[in-house]
Amino acid sequence: MPVLSQVSRTDWFGPLLVTVAAIVLIGSLNPAFLSPFNIQILLQAIAINALIALSQMIIIAIGQMNLSVGAIGGLAAISFAGMMEVWGLPAPAAAVLALAVGLAAGLVNGVIIAATGISAFVITLATLSLYKGINLGITEAQPFYGIPEGVKAFGNAVFLGPVPTVFIPTAIVAVALWFTLSRLHIGRAILATGGNEHAAELSGISVPSTIVAAHAISGLLAAGAGILLVARLQIGQPSIGDDWLILSFAAPVIGGAILSGGHVSVAGTLLGVAIVAIITQALVLFNIDPYLVQVMLGALILWAVGINRLREVRLQRSAVRIP
Amino acid sequence: MTTGAVFEARDIRKTFPGVVALDSVSLTLEPGSIHALLGENGAGKSTLIKVITGVHQPDSGTLLLDGRQVAFHGARAARVHGIGVVHQERNLIPRFSIAENISLERFGAGMLKLVDRAEVEREARRWLDLLEFDVDPSTPVSRLSVAKMQLVEIARALSARSRVLLLDEPTASLTPHETETLFRLLKRLRDDGAGIIFVSHKLEEVQEICDRVTVLRDGRNACESRPMEGLDRQDIVRMMIGRSELIADHARPDHGQRPVALALEKVSTDVGHRDIDLKVREGEIVGLYGLVGAGRTELAKALIGHFHVTGGSVRVHGEEVKIRSVAEAIHRHRIGYVSEDRKQDGLILIHSVLDNTGMAVWRRLAGALGLLADRTVRTAVEPSIRKLEVRTPSLSQLVGNLSGGNQQKVSVAKWLVAGVRILIVDEPSVGIDIKTKAYLHDLLRDLSDQGTAILLITSDMPEMIALADRIVVMNDYRIRGEVRNTRDYQAMSQSIMDFIHEADDGSLPETPAPAGARPEPA
Amino acid sequence: MARLLLTNEFGLLVLIVAFAAIFYSLTPGFLSSFNQFALGRTAAVNILIGFSMMAVIVTGGLNLAVGAIGACAAMACGFLIEVAGLPWPLAVLGGLALGAGLGLLNGWAVVVTGLHSFIITLASMSIFFGAMIFLTRAESYRELPPGFSDFGRMKILGVISPLFLVAVAVGVALIVLYRFTSVGREMLAAGARPEAAELSGVRVGRIITLCHGLSGLIAAVAALLVVTRNGAAIPSMAGQLGQDWLLPAFLGPVLGGTLLTGGRVSVVGTFLGALLVTMLTNGLLLQQVGEFWIQSVLGLLLLLAVFMDKGRRAFLASRRMV
Repeated sequence: MPVLSQVSRTDWFGPLLVTVAAIVLIGSLNPAFLSPFNIQILLQAIAINALIALSQMIIIAIGQMNLSVGAIGGLAAISFAGMMEVWGLPAPAAAVLALAVGLAAGLVNGVIIAATGISAFVITLATLSLYKGINLGITEAQPFYGIPEGVKAFGNAVFLGPVPTVFIPTAIVAVALWFTLSRLHIGRAILATGGNEHAAELSGISVPSTIVAAHAISGLLAAGAGILLVARLQIGQPSIGDDWLILSFAAPVIGGAILSGGHVSVAGTLLGVAIVAIITQALVLFNIDPYLVQVMLGALILWAVGINRLREVRLQRSAVRIP
Repeated sequence: MTTGAVFEARDIRKTFPGVVALDSVSLTLEPGSIHALLGENGAGKSTLIKVITGVHQPDSGTLLLDGRQVAFHGARAARVHGIGVVHQERNLIPRFSIAENISLERFGAGMLKLVDRAEVEREARRWLDLLEFDVDPSTPVSRLSVAKMQLVEIARALSARSRVLLLDEPTASLTPHETETLFRLLKRLRDDGAGIIFVSHKLEEVQEICDRVTVLRDGRNACESRPMEGLDRQDIVRMMIGRSELIADHARPDHGQRPVALALEKVSTDVGHRDIDLKVREGEIVGLYGLVGAGRTELAKALIGHFHVTGGSVRVHGEEVKIRSVAEAIHRHRIGYVSEDRKQDGLILIHSVLDNTGMAVWRRLAGALGLLADRTVRTAVEPSIRKLEVRTPSLSQLVGNLSGGNQQKVSVAKWLVAGVRILIVDEPSVGIDIKTKAYLHDLLRDLSDQGTAILLITSDMPEMIALADRIVVMNDYRIRGEVRNTRDYQAMSQSIMDFIHEADDGSLPETPAPAGARPEPA
Repeated sequence: MARLLLTNEFGLLVLIVAFAAIFYSLTPGFLSSFNQFALGRTAAVNILIGFSMMAVIVTGGLNLAVGAIGACAAMACGFLIEVAGLPWPLAVLGGLALGAGLGLLNGWAVVVTGLHSFIITLASMSIFFGAMIFLTRAESYRELPPGFSDFGRMKILGVISPLFLVAVAVGVALIVLYRFTSVGREMLAAGARPEAAELSGVRVGRIITLCHGLSGLIAAVAALLVVTRNGAAIPSMAGQLGQDWLLPAFLGPVLGGTLLTGGRVSVVGTFLGALLVTMLTNGLLLQQVGEFWIQSVLGLLLLLAVFMDKGRRAFLASRRMV
């Protein structure tokens, strides 16, 4: 019993229940939902969206926001595709360089925010425009089509049963991020900065370098999502990233992240991504208007922040008396 | 000339625009000593603390650690040099475990290093054991009461091997039992040779635990590092308040026959007050005394409709009322509240003197369509500004640019303009100089002479005794007793403290203070 | 005097004149009556979008849903004309009412939940836009009556678009609101320090709701101007989820020196800021700077604006301390 109550207090328990319930419910209403092909589609979507969500989550952890996640992803995506098509670079080299582009973009965000102390919202709004402009300036809004076959194959191959290959990098990233946040000094410094910046600073944690590190990680993850999306779509679309913003906030928040910082959950965020993907998929399966996906995403965010708020209040109320 | 002092502040001078906060102040801390730092609000105590902890740099004077001159550029530097501080406000990471909070320093070094959990827990255990604080070090701090969080901070300061430990009002939120534990610990640390600076309002505690004392008054040393032996309470009080005229008997009329302006009967509130009976007559100043967390500010905010009265009756000028919002309290019942936290709750620092003083009457002054010209507001506020002698270059000066005293005048002027008949004044002299304080006292007496009923909340005993006609004592959200003010400092403070201790020694439940149970509206 | 020269408004004015001179010297077509007319029309929309955001920034919050609300209002107006067959003035009122209503809804949600307006309006932008697309099937309304669409093409004195006059009129109304009414003053007070305002008798919850309502209303005005300009109500007029409006929405107020933490506004500054942005965009396009790069330039401009603002504030603060 106490184990259960402890488990029920974790961030991932609620989302897990919702996920399982949704799978059971939708699967029983429409068995096609659980077909291997459908599961593969679902996991592909989850793999890429998870990187987008984690990219935002790491910034939420320091109590900031990153509006430029999509723009960084888009820029990395067209860099990846462009370097292969125009420069004829082999895919791995192009991928590494595209990741470097994302890292650099994240570093620029972080350095400006840390150095000026101006709100991350305004800075990343500005860099969103900057990065998107560079993207459009390079591509003139035309996609790169010359994606090598190997990359295309990677984007749609399965690795084990219905598990797609693109799931592998995501899984590695998720585990690494979890490890970083819970076991490495930098992870604890990120969460400490988000939890109480003043206290963190007094304790000798360098708040500026922590902020820069978080933004660098965010840029790297966004770039990763952009690269995977190119492989998956088999085309270097300049519009990649345009619709990431809502999702990037929805999943971490569903996963219990506190927007004021200091508390995020990798597992919760992954489940948040899964919930969004499952519901989106269900709308398609049941021939419900796909336009409603937007409405659903918005409603999910409101629902999740409402729940988190309640939990927060209850946590404060229960300031448990330790003997 | 090196003494055996572990820490020394010599001839510290610190000025702010328009104010000399510290003038040639010194303090010498011996090892193996608990050193009291005392002073009234505004005496320069908090400025000295900020100089010692590196938040402010002194204009002149020197700081010495172990006889060597040091300069702290920032709070961080002071910590590195071994000045351990436990501030009044908590500096913890709420979601982190107790152990991690104690070892927070580690995470700043070596970004890619692995957190050594076993070592972190061991370290925490060690200091928690020393504090006799029996708790699982992996408990998140957010689940601790405020008092326990403070113990965690003390443990953190100790773990940094601080040469000097500065505790700023450490007992403000502790229960008597916790206070005792803390004192036992401090004594043990002292016996091990630590130098401890102890800042407190509570003279009983200071006398119990401190062996030396430095008193500040008006930004100067009223005494410097003198042994506590041979000083009785009266001596300390005299050094703190300086002159006895503060308690001089202002001939106050008897208010016994005046109509009752505000009457509470068996009032309970949604923040936890029970059975509150209180009467304030027209022209009377009633003091509400209590320690931090006693529920006084919360009661005031409930009276003006910010929190809610859930039971009993509130009468304003004889008429039973139910006040649902602050706007209603001000406009319908003419009740005003001068907040204790001027910068948060009282004033809008980035707005002008004109806007701040007129805020409460905009609605009243506005014409058709809600139109309201500056000229109208100016006409309305100017007499009060002049009456209070607010020193400002113009009415369009930003309040944030005024001195603390003038800011306080502005926050009182707001209620003069609004023409309130009942005024609740919460800690009016926090952070203002002695002269303005005396002036404010005269003003409050003036107002009451003109028939305003005043409820005065203050933790400053001399102020209470100087101003109040009657003193009501509050503790743990209940009224504990009432005394008529005879203006005899010793007798008054004795009977007031008796009321509080009576309640304290009873079966006070060990609960976190219910203060702020309701989140502020965003 | 020195203080006047250091104001944001004066700085913007200098920049506007300087850039106008540069662009004119490079392409005399810049000051042609046609270009001035086009400039005024575009500027009008940007100015109003800036005002819409400013109305919420006053409270220390923000409104990501300006574009979504605008698109909803525009589509509602188109629907009322084309499907419901209402005369266009009534349909315009309908669109404005919807804008204000959606704004009030945002404000209500912010006040009731106590959450930051960022997350609330992020969610509501998705909900409003999604619902609009769902209801309209993403179809445009193109059959607008001549009286309505003529407004967008009309030229006063040969160069001035009536759209620009609408923006000026809204600006004047906002100046009156913030400087000469009790509600406007309460908005500033509630934004600067909600606790202090509340304890001085300002009904902060109501005022914040009202600010969001005002923001929605102005967003609707901006959207309706776009409709008259295009002669059609198009769901994608503000981009996916209305995101295309976000940058201009912040550029105006930030360039204009409105404090993002709330409590202080500059209506004139926002006006000039949006004008400058429009002019730069227009001028650069005339210079054949690839239109795709414009977005980068605007991003850099926003960065530059916040840096300069920070520097200016630091300078003023240091001077005051002396």
